[in-house]
Amino acid sequence: MENINKYMTNYDKILILLIIVFSLIMILYPFISAYLDNGEDQNAFIYIKDSSQEVRRIPLSETYQDEPIIIEAEGPLGISIIEIHQGRARLKKAPEEDPAKICEKTGWISKPGPSIICVPNKISVWIETEDSDLDAISW
Amino acid sequence: MRTRKVVIISLLVGLGLVLHLVENMIPLSFLIPGAKLGLANIANLLGLILFGFFAGLQILLLRIFLGSILAGTFMTINFYLSLSGGLLGYLIMSLFFYYLREKFSIIGVSLGGAVFHNIGQIITAYIIISNTAIFYYLPYLILLALPTGVGIGLVTIFTYNYLPRELKRIDV
Repeated sequence: MENINKYMTNYDKILILLIIVFSLIMILYPFISAYLDNGEDQNAFIYIKDSSQEVRRIPLSETYQDEPIIIEAEGPLGISIIEIHQGRARLKKAPEEDPAKICEKTGWISKPGPSIICVPNKISVWIETEDSDLDAISW
Repeated sequence: MRTRKVVIISLLVGLGLVLHLVENMIPLSFLIPGAKLGLANIANLLGLILFGFFAGLQILLLRIFLGSILAGTFMTINFYLSLSGGLLGYLIMSLFFYYLREKFSIIGVSLGGAVFHNIGQIITAYIIISNTAIFYYLPYLILLALPTGVGIGLVTIFTYNYLPRELKRIDV
């Protein structure tokens, strides 16, 4: 640690502290606002937007069945398969051409806030509640 | 001096390309989707310190263009993401370097570059996909930019101290 102090100035440390505080506030903000919303399960919807900007809306309450709902969304790279089951959604299979398959690795989402986004195939999946008095939240 | 400058700039471009390839072999995506170390920034940060703004910009642009042509991603979304992040990060690094030199060390310069690299990439991704939910990733990426930014700054200082004395314009 003494060695690092030789290279760092005090302003560097202030900058590090500011970045930590700023990003922690941004991480905690959606969780706090999600807890302030009551009854999010009744009126929650899963939204799927594909490359043609078409948005599909599925009520979360319809997903509690034995069989998962499978949706195919088409993008510039091919068809992405989205699975919705028991109040959760995931991108089950990305097209072979997708270089990183980040959307596939994101896993399941079940709450407003986290979202599955596939930039190469221009597809996004997210969850929103209807009785929220906010139209959109941006950080 | 001019030939020497051209040779050193092209060596730094080569260094940046190799670091870019090595960086792709280190998987960080299991931590946060899309996260990277930013090793290639060592090359243009060294160029900025050694020869000034335009040399560093040259190294950055050549590295991104050649790197994307070698990897086969030229003019694809990956290329635009690294170009926008690289340019915004480099501009912030230059601002820190030229105007806040007496306050921040090279670690602070590199840290500012790392944070704004992520902000630039997220803004471009938002323009492509037009969904504000992508900003949800930003704080996690910025938190990860903290150790990588400090590390890149330290590596740059150590590398700079090993360079021959006649190359150096300033002390770091």
